[in-house]
Amino acid sequence: MAKIEDLLTWALSPTISAILVTLIFSLTLPVLIHYYLYKRAVAKELPTFLLLGPSGGGKTALLTLLATGAASPTHISQAPQTAICQLPSTTRASEDQYRSENDTSSRSQPSILLLDTPGHGKLRHHAFSSLTSPAAIKGLLFVVDSAVLSSAAGLTEAAEYPYDILLLLQKRHTQGKTSKGPQAIPVLLVANKQDVFTSLPAGLVKSKLEEELGKVRLTRSRGLLDSGIGMEDDTDEEGNWLGEYGAKTFRFSQMREHGVEIDVVGGSMNGEGEDPGNVHECWSWIGANI
Amino acid sequence: MLDAFEILTTSGIVLWRRHYAPLSSNVIDSLVRDVFIEEKQKSGGAENSAPSYKKDRYTLRWTSAKDVGLVFVAVYRSLLHLSWVENLLAAVRGLFTKAYGQELRKPHTLKVDTAQWNPMFDALVNRLDTGSTRRQSDTLDSEGPTELTPPSSSAGDDAHEPPPVPAPLFKKPAIPAKKGVVVDDTTSTDATPVPTPDTSRPATPGHAASHILTAKGGPGKASRRSRKGQTFNTSAPASSGDESSAGRTLKGSGKNATKGKRRWDIDGMAVEGDDDGVLDYSAPATPGPDTADRELDVSDVNTSQMGSHTGKGQFVLKDLDDEVDAILASSKQQSTSTTTTNGEIATGSGLLNTATSRLTSLFRNVVGGKTLSKSDLQQPLQQMQTHLLEKNVAREAAERLCQSVEINLLDQKTADFTSIDATIRDSMTKALTRMLTPTSSLDLLRDVSSTTSGPGARPYVISIVGVNGVGKSTNLSKIAFFLLQNRFRVLVVAGDTFRCGAVEQLRVHVRNLSALSQREGVGKVELFEKGYGKDAATVARDAVAFATNRDGHAQVQGQGMLYDVVLIDTAGRRHNDTRLMSSLTKFGQLANPDKVFMVGEALVGTDSVAQARNFAKEFVDTKGKLRNNGVGMDGFIISKCDTVGDMVGTLVSMVHATGIPVVFLGVGQHYGDLRGLNVGWAVDKLMK
Repeated sequence: MAKIEDLLTWALSPTISAILVTLIFSLTLPVLIHYYLYKRAVAKELPTFLLLGPSGGGKTALLTLLATGAASPTHISQAPQTAICQLPSTTRASEDQYRSENDTSSRSQPSILLLDTPGHGKLRHHAFSSLTSPAAIKGLLFVVDSAVLSSAAGLTEAAEYPYDILLLLQKRHTQGKTSKGPQAIPVLLVANKQDVFTSLPAGLVKSKLEEELGKVRLTRSRGLLDSGIGMEDDTDEEGNWLGEYGAKTFRFSQMREHGVEIDVVGGSMNGEGEDPGNVHECWSWIGANI
Repeated sequence: MLDAFEILTTSGIVLWRRHYAPLSSNVIDSLVRDVFIEEKQKSGGAENSAPSYKKDRYTLRWTSAKDVGLVFVAVYRSLLHLSWVENLLAAVRGLFTKAYGQELRKPHTLKVDTAQWNPMFDALVNRLDTGSTRRQSDTLDSEGPTELTPPSSSAGDDAHEPPPVPAPLFKKPAIPAKKGVVVDDTTSTDATPVPTPDTSRPATPGHAASHILTAKGGPGKASRRSRKGQTFNTSAPASSGDESSAGRTLKGSGKNATKGKRRWDIDGMAVEGDDDGVLDYSAPATPGPDTADRELDVSDVNTSQMGSHTGKGQFVLKDLDDEVDAILASSKQQSTSTTTTNGEIATGSGLLNTATSRLTSLFRNVVGGKTLSKSDLQQPLQQMQTHLLEKNVAREAAERLCQSVEINLLDQKTADFTSIDATIRDSMTKALTRMLTPTSSLDLLRDVSSTTSGPGARPYVISIVGVNGVGKSTNLSKIAFFLLQNRFRVLVVAGDTFRCGAVEQLRVHVRNLSALSQREGVGKVELFEKGYGKDAATVARDAVAFATNRDGHAQVQGQGMLYDVVLIDTAGRRHNDTRLMSSLTKFGQLANPDKVFMVGEALVGTDSVAQARNFAKEFVDTKGKLRNNGVGMDGFIISKCDTVGDMVGTLVSMVHATGIPVVFLGVGQHYGDLRGLNVGWAVDKLMK
């Protein structure tokens, strides 16, 4: 008992040793608490790429191919799925672009987070909410089935989704609240299923989609007003017109002024040859945009 | 026998599959689309029943494990009737979740190593497979043919054999026992032929069932395929009877007055020839050398199976059996005891106990992190249902929405600082949004321009149907106004030849619209009418022909299409008047419209569900299939929305009843008062 009383008396007395002990204690305690709390290290935020597109395009198969190297059989997605993929050794990331080829220092390839969303009409809100959420999306992979685009009905059906997405990106840019504006999101249009006989090559996919998007924007501008007309802040025509206002034709280059860069590549899951699937170009685009 | 078994995640990746027969992937795709996403079918109430879905010739039964996000699907041909599939699904669900659940709960898992799963699945199928019966009419199922065939452990071998034959009950009495022509009666390789008593093999089921199933088996030469298909059904007495009687008369000399023995080969055709085979199966076969061998074979297999997997193998098998028994027993128990949990809400007696429990639940309600149980959800869901009913949603639709929310939220944890009410509101908003969002939104202008231009140009035909007094003619003129503003040429057809003044009403509308359009110099609108009393279907067909101007009528020669769009008005009819409703079918087939819109008023109450259903099922094409992918109509126009204010529940009722989306809303009585549907706006109004 006496010892404890002595100890307490010493601790509260203005001796140098007591002050030193207090100082050390009060400085190291928060540090220790910090280490304890952050022991389960929060993973560094990985760059996120979003996979979207009309139903049946091959998004989930592409996800499995990029993540595991082999495409699994898939069915219609009902829910979004994430996967962590690492860039293959053959692809250069953008941060390595100034390294020499013969640089022998060991470095690990960066990994990315791929987010696959359902393409069915009723479930597209997952993709829209991911785009508008605060999480930073580094790029968009828009996967379309090139074989379906060769028929007129398939083309019409496949065009309304890219229209909505591009309009959302444009509005995000033009209606930003701050002067800086949100980070630009580049878009890669993957013309999938190139191995199918009736598929169109990537260049033709691009021109057909541009044409169709031009028609869609024309009819949307002339269409009926929405019932929720009082809800939105602006209903001006210019805001709802994709690309250059008043232009006769739509080109993907018109989206560049809104910071949306669109590239088109072809891809296929069941490729012959040494690599399963033909996704080199996808990887190089991802690597360039990390 | 099963055709396929697949285990897939909710994100669409197939974790494991086993195909016994080639199966195209769009069968399961359509299951996912129709049941899980578009919810055209009730997706199963209790966790333990395995609901079924039919597509082409297949029946699919499924079950799901929500906590790990998996769906288990078993596919087999609709002709078979496999009663053990439910148990198989429950057992697979339990075992797979137990084996791989940990791995699947980790984020970003796309694959699991399923190497060990294959033998487990095989063992499960062996254990549970009790054979199959060819599906007969329902009355015959009650005779329980499977009870005669003992479940055997070697039924799994049948996985690679051709589809099996049904139980002996449905065979005709005369069965050949010739070695070469063995009609295998049982699905399992039994040691001894099953001693089926004579009395349990009545002759009538064969005849009774035949008229149901063998429509094609007329007298005379039936095709080989239909004959083969009839083999396992009671063979059609007509076809085979004739042949055999013909055969018999040919051989009549050899038979004299006695009735010749009749024998059937595997194709169901009468076999003529020597009849020195034993036909009587009733006596138990004398244990000849081969049967003894077969007995020994079976026991050999048994012991070798257990013996070869000594140690680890035997252990696994035993474990499996115990586990499977436990799973099946628990699932049965769960299904029977549904109401006992409801009764035990407040078991704590005493004031202090209830007070503290109420305080803690209140605390949890505010802070969040509470696991929701059935009793927690019951009261708030009741309130939510009343709220929906107040918004003029039909009771059936409100109940189903609340049930789906309950199934989604059961055993989930609430998020941080959200109360149960907020969680339910959020989930209900999501459910309503999903229900009201169409699978593909209608772009009318785009459709019209693509149909009226290009190589196969023809007029675009729209028809409007509905009950009396909902606003068909008014909304039709609103659509005509919209199309005129987009410079199309419109032909309005007075298909209402019954109500007095209907044609004159449309004449006034057309006069107004043409005045409006001439003022602005756009489009052209005309009325096509044939007076009163004519058949609406023929009027419509004539109108379409007139607009197409294919053969060049006397008035206008040398022109292409006269009109771009044909709008057909029809007479209002009560949905429970079968005579008037059946005339709609003929109308649909003759006029062949591109779009059929049904007008429903926002003021209608519970009647909306019955209206929508009855109208939708009338539009079948000549083959008997509902048009527009099996839904019937192409869209709803909800009129008089300005009169109801916030109570727009009719939208939900009609969409819920049929799965057809709402395309337009009528918000007033002038020509410009037509709007498209904004789902966010509608859900906002409903949840306000």
